[in-house]
Amino acid sequence: MTTERTAQPMLPGLRVPANRVSRRAISYWTARAVLAAAVVLLAEVGIAVGSGFSVVWAWIIGITFAAEAAHAVIMPRWRYRVHRWEVTDQALYTRSGWFSVHWQIAPISRIQTIDSHRPFGERIFGLANVTATTASAAGPVRIHGLDRELADVLLDQLAVATGQTPGDAT
Amino acid sequence: MTGAESGAGAEWLRLSPRSLVVRPLTDLVRLVPLLAGLLILHSDRGSDVIWGVLAAMAAVVTGLVHWSTTRYRITDERVYVRRGLLNKKVLSVARDRIRTVDVTANLLHRVLGVCRVSIGTGRNDWRPGQSLHLDGLARTDAESLRLVLLAAASPADQEIVRLRLAWLRFAPLTMTGLVVLGVLFGSVIQITNATDINLAKTGPVKHFIRDFAAYSIVHRIGVGVPFAMAGYVLIALIGYVAVYWNFRLTEYGAGTVRVTRGLLSLRATTISLSRLRGVEISEPLLLRAAGGAKCSAITTGLRVGEGAEHEGSVLLPPAPRQVAHLVAGELLGVPSGLVAGPLRRHGRAALRRRYSRALTAACLLIAGIGAATWARQGPAWVWESSFALVPLAVVVATDRYRNLGHLLSDGWLVTRAGSFARRRSIIGTDAIIGWRIRQTWFQRRSGLMTVTATTAAGQQHYSLRDVPVEVGLAVAAGATADLVRPFQLDVEARARTA
Repeated sequence: MTTERTAQPMLPGLRVPANRVSRRAISYWTARAVLAAAVVLLAEVGIAVGSGFSVVWAWIIGITFAAEAAHAVIMPRWRYRVHRWEVTDQALYTRSGWFSVHWQIAPISRIQTIDSHRPFGERIFGLANVTATTASAAGPVRIHGLDRELADVLLDQLAVATGQTPGDAT
Repeated sequence: MTGAESGAGAEWLRLSPRSLVVRPLTDLVRLVPLLAGLLILHSDRGSDVIWGVLAAMAAVVTGLVHWSTTRYRITDERVYVRRGLLNKKVLSVARDRIRTVDVTANLLHRVLGVCRVSIGTGRNDWRPGQSLHLDGLARTDAESLRLVLLAAASPADQEIVRLRLAWLRFAPLTMTGLVVLGVLFGSVIQITNATDINLAKTGPVKHFIRDFAAYSIVHRIGVGVPFAMAGYVLIALIGYVAVYWNFRLTEYGAGTVRVTRGLLSLRATTISLSRLRGVEISEPLLLRAAGGAKCSAITTGLRVGEGAEHEGSVLLPPAPRQVAHLVAGELLGVPSGLVAGPLRRHGRAALRRRYSRALTAACLLIAGIGAATWARQGPAWVWESSFALVPLAVVVATDRYRNLGHLLSDGWLVTRAGSFARRRSIIGTDAIIGWRIRQTWFQRRSGLMTVTATTAAGQQHYSLRDVPVEVGLAVAAGATADLVRPFQLDVEARARTA
C-alpha cells in the first residue's frame, strides 16, 4: 500500500521535488536504526537477567526485536522514497519524513545562513547535510543524507544565489 | 572598529553617573529577604551575611566598571554600544533596522531618575550579553534617544485606549495571579533555605495548622475554599495593578505607537507601525467566558506568548473583547471582519480528528486510572468517576473544532485555534518568509494537513491545523503566490475549475 502511495505525489496539488538524496542514506538510516535497537534490546536483556528472566520478559524482548527489525528494514526504504529536495532560482523546496511527511518551502531571498554539517555517523557513509536558516526561528530547512561532493556544490550554489537578493523581510 | 569606519560627527556618550548606585543597590535589595529572615526568625547562621557583604562589595566594583566602560553613540546611519573592560565589545545596529524601543524603570531606577533602554532589532538570535541595551540612562537622555531612534518627533499623540478601573474584573481570570503566587512561594522557599528554618515547625504556622485541623471537614472546606479564593483574587488584583496601572496606548504622528504602563516599575514601549507585522488576540478560557481578551503585537524582536508581559509586546491588558477588537483593527488598519468576524471552518474531517484525539486521550487516562486503582486496590468509585472524562472530552473537542479556523483576505492571514487558550492571529502576508507543511499518516488518510507559515515576527510560526489539503494549498498559494505557485501541479487546470 505504501509503495503505491509514495509513487504518486502524496499531496495532491504539490509536485515532487526533483532530486533524491544519496542511496547510501539507506545504509546510514539502517545503521542508525540498528544501533538504537541494540541499545534498547541490551537494556531490556539487562533488566530481564537481573530480575530472573521470566516468561513475560522473553515475550517483551521478542516483540521488541520483531518491531525493531521491521523498523530497520522498512523505515530506511520508506524514508528514501520520501526524502527529496530541489533548488530553483526562487526557492529551496524539500520533502522529508516517512510516517509523517514534511514539506518545506523557503525563498532563496530570505535565506540568511547556509551550513553544512558532517556528523561522525554520516561521515562514515560519505554523507553530509545542508541547513539553510531564514530570519524565522521556526524555518531552518535541512536536507539530510546528501552525497558529500554534492553537498559542497549545493553549498556554493546557495551561497551565490542568496548573495544576489537583498533585504531580509523582517 | 576604527574611528573612520564608525563615522565622525557624533560623540561617544556615557550612562548617567547615578546608575553607579543601581547595581549595588539592586543586589542589596535581593539580600533584603535573607536579612529579614535572619533577623525575624533568629537564625544563628552568620556566614551568609558575610558572603552577602562580600557580594555587595563585588557589585559596587562591577557597577563602577560597567559605568566607566559603557558608551553609546548615534550616527546618522547606526547606533553603537561599546562595553567591556578586558573583552571590549562594540555592538552596532543600522537605524533603519530598529523596530522597537523599550524603556523600563523599576522602583530604584525611578528614585534615581534613570531607566533602562533596550533596542529591538530584527534579530532573534542575540546571544545573552549581546542585546542592545543601556542600563542606567538619565531619563531625559532616554526620552531624546527614543525620539531620535524612532523619529517620533511630532508631539501630537492621540490616545487609542487607556486603562479603565472596570477592567480589574478580568484580573482573577488570567494566570497573572498564579505567576505572582509562584514568585511569592519561590522567595519564601529561598528565605527558608537560606536561614535553615522549617516554616512548618515555626510557632504561628504550627498553631494555624493545629487550629485548622480541629474543624470538621465541612467546616474546613466551607472556610478554607472561600478564604483561598479571596486571597487568590486579591493577589491577582495586586498583580494586575502592579503591571498594568496607568496603561495607555497612544499613537504618535510619525507612524509609531507607544504603550506605557506600570505602578512601581514603569515601562514605555515604542513600536514602529511600519514594522508591526500583526496582532494576536488571546482569550484564555476563563477570560473568554467573561467576554474578555488581551492583545499583543506580532513584531520582530518582541516575544509573544509565555512571559510576554515581561517583554514589550503587550498591546492591551485583559480587557473587554470589543476593546481588543478595536485596538487590533485600529493598529493594523483592517476591517472589523478580520479581527472579529467569522472564519472559515476546517470541515467534517477536522471535526472527526478533534473527537478521535480527545477521546483517545480520555480513554488512555481512564485506562491508566483503572490500572492504578486495580494495582493499589483503591476504591472502585475512583475508576468509575473517571468516566466523566468522556463527556468532558466531547465538550473540549467540540469547542476546539468551533475555534479552529482561518481566513485569507486583503493581504492578511488570520488563524485561530485552541480551547483552553484560544488565540486569533492576524498576520500580514508580506511577513511570511516560508511554509512548512506537515501530514501525518492519519492526516493523509483523512485528506488533511497542517500548513504553517513561518515568519521572523512574534511566535515565528503560525499554523492552520488540520486544514483540508486543497484549502490549505490554496491559502499558501494565495498568500505568497510567487513562492508556492512554481511547485503546484497543473495550476491552469486548477484555476479553471476554481
